[in-house]
Amino acid sequence: MDHTKAVDDATTPPQLDKKRQVKYWTRCVKTLLPFHYIGLDSNRMYMGYFILAALDLLDVLETVCSETERRDFADWIYSCQSVDGGFKMWRGTDFGDQTNDLNRKWDPANVPATYFALVALLVLGDDFKRVKRRETLHWLRKMQRPDGSFGETLVNGQIEGGRDPRYGYCATGARYILRGARSGPLTLDGEDIRDIDVDAFVECVRLAEAFDGGIADQPYNEPHAGYTYCSLGALNFVGRLQKADLRPSQLSSRYGPSNPQEVVRWLVQRQTEHIDPDASIDSDTIGSNRTSKVTDRELENILPNNHGAPPNSEQTPSQTAPPDHSFTSAAAAKSQIRKPSYTPQPSTLPDHDSATTAICAGMNGRVNKTADTCYAWWSGASFHVLGQPKLYNHAAVQNYLLEKTQNPVLGGFGKFPGDAPDLYHSYLGLTALSLVGCEGVKEVDAGMCVSRNAKGRLKGVWERWGVEGSLN
Amino acid sequence: MGNIDFTSPLWADLTPLPTDEGGDHPLAAIAYTEEYATTMSYLRAVMALSEHSPRVLLLTAELIDMNPAHYTVWLYRAETLFALSADLHEELEWLNETALDHQKNYQIWHHRMLIVDRLGESEGEAEFVEQMFERDAKNYHVWSYRQWMVKRFGLWEKGELEFTEGLIRRDVRNNSAWNHRWFVVNGREGEGVEGVEGVKGDEGVREREVGFAKREIGRAPQNLCGWSYLRGVVRKGGMRLGELKEFAGQFAGLDGGEVRSSHALDLMAEILAEEEGGRERAGEALDMLMETYDPVRRNYWEYRKGMLGLPSAAA
Repeated sequence: MDHTKAVDDATTPPQLDKKRQVKYWTRCVKTLLPFHYIGLDSNRMYMGYFILAALDLLDVLETVCSETERRDFADWIYSCQSVDGGFKMWRGTDFGDQTNDLNRKWDPANVPATYFALVALLVLGDDFKRVKRRETLHWLRKMQRPDGSFGETLVNGQIEGGRDPRYGYCATGARYILRGARSGPLTLDGEDIRDIDVDAFVECVRLAEAFDGGIADQPYNEPHAGYTYCSLGALNFVGRLQKADLRPSQLSSRYGPSNPQEVVRWLVQRQTEHIDPDASIDSDTIGSNRTSKVTDRELENILPNNHGAPPNSEQTPSQTAPPDHSFTSAAAAKSQIRKPSYTPQPSTLPDHDSATTAICAGMNGRVNKTADTCYAWWSGASFHVLGQPKLYNHAAVQNYLLEKTQNPVLGGFGKFPGDAPDLYHSYLGLTALSLVGCEGVKEVDAGMCVSRNAKGRLKGVWERWGVEGSLN
Repeated sequence: MGNIDFTSPLWADLTPLPTDEGGDHPLAAIAYTEEYATTMSYLRAVMALSEHSPRVLLLTAELIDMNPAHYTVWLYRAETLFALSADLHEELEWLNETALDHQKNYQIWHHRMLIVDRLGESEGEAEFVEQMFERDAKNYHVWSYRQWMVKRFGLWEKGELEFTEGLIRRDVRNNSAWNHRWFVVNGREGEGVEGVEGVKGDEGVREREVGFAKREIGRAPQNLCGWSYLRGVVRKGGMRLGELKEFAGQFAGLDGGEVRSSHALDLMAEILAEEEGGRERAGEALDMLMETYDPVRRNYWEYRKGMLGLPSAAA
């Protein structure tokens, strides 16, 4: 970091380019998405949710889209609702008047599509009168496997899709919207609706906890911030989350995660100054090579008058790598050049850490991976869900997103610095910024990944349905 | 241009079924290429007929190449393959190419499991997985698949531990390889087979794994993988964290000694906090982390320090 630049940063912090962000999302909602999105055709519902929820977070949904357009969007969402409950991702497997008992299995309701459809309807302020509540709750129960996990679709009586906490998050999220967090039987239109097996679900999350504190998709797989967020979020939806402020003696095996402090420890290590994928641990498999690269890259970023130097060219790999000195030299450089001069602040944590304003550090999704815009959400939001929102460096994440991955020309956010924006990273960039209190974005709900005021509409829906309990 | 000529007699009997977008303002509508729109229309036509035929294999392969995330086309293809008793080795060859073209796709690996499970043998699979790892040694789906292979075909003792060692030697920071090692060592616990109890039930295994982690930490002290693994073995093996004090001290000298690893300092702080009268010293280690060695995580180190319950004047 150039010294002059650091001073500039301290006086004029980077900002959200709201005009370009609005322009990006306006383009997404008003014109066809480019053909590159064909590979995501069967994820249309979640892209639709990103578009509406982003416009809402920027507080322009009602000015950018007319009432007619918004009504048509709701109609489209309902046109993806399955007769037997649940929603489909899109209409691409709808056979129209040729639908029959034999072929309808190829056009099944989809668990993530159901959650995203319901949340998008909240964003639109829909009255939920057309939602097949009873059928959807019935169907959700059928989507749970004996081991507690949820699948994606039900085809030929078989639950399809991996053993993946994303499905657990979406299934419990849909259940939360349709019946609140309280478990047990429910009577709707005179019919008893059996609940999902909450105990089995909690157990399946606990079993996927890894030895290092993170949570994976299934036992023994590598822990991952996306799966960690989805697991925590799902526990939150079913009212079985134990947060990080509990003492060891207060922890219970009916709740998860089994050791919230260990999850925090793992999450804290997701913050990283490795933001350049070309200099990354990702693409570099040679220990010794990487060691020298990192040292040099870190110095490059720290020392003045050395901007734009290309990464080191390939070096000869050696069989036995020398000890890693990257840490010591970088730390030494830091302490000389940055001269961190904090006055220790005893009991309370600062909202924004002014001493580290110039640091730019994003979040990664797994150990020793490069920072990526979307993990600023998955990792960052996990802290909030666990009740420890200040244990990561907000200022550093904000700098990373605003200075490095926000696209200065097109608006939106890319995955890595300099990347073209896409819907997924652009939405999660915004939500991650909302978490750290960035100006220009409405407040996001860390558990539901949508604005707090959209989530607040659930209250009215629940009142009409007679759902007990308050929004968590 | 697509690989399928829909004007050929092979397709003449079908009436393509165009998509109904569902109203004036569908959400997230895509500017489909003509090729994709046509292929999808023919796919809907054969799916609507629930047809199982060789041309379905052509059509689904073409569609998958454009949109591998289509969740029912894979199931439809698998059903067709099994209905036709098609050559599954040929299917694997096609899958190899497809997997290399679409490295981030999950369905490909699920489909592969179905096929290989049905074949009942894993010949050539380890080699293909190696090929995938050469492109990306941290590909999540490929690692999941590798674990499945080990379980399905009982490959625990067939060089799997050596395989993780080789990958870790190549890149000591490859956390996926470390995680796989944990799986190979501990994944059979609870099976009740003697000698496969992992670090929990077998002292020899515990010592071997502690030694392995320490050696790799020596190669790269600031690499989190080694430290997490070591802590994991100690916790699961029922050892005391304090047994690592001397080792951690080699990388985290307090009192002006050399600090070669923030992770060692972190561990030292935890060990000291558990010691009689060690809290002040633990606080000093945390101060070093927040002020010099890991300022990015300052809030966390401060939080940890708060948990020590030191008198606030000394904090």
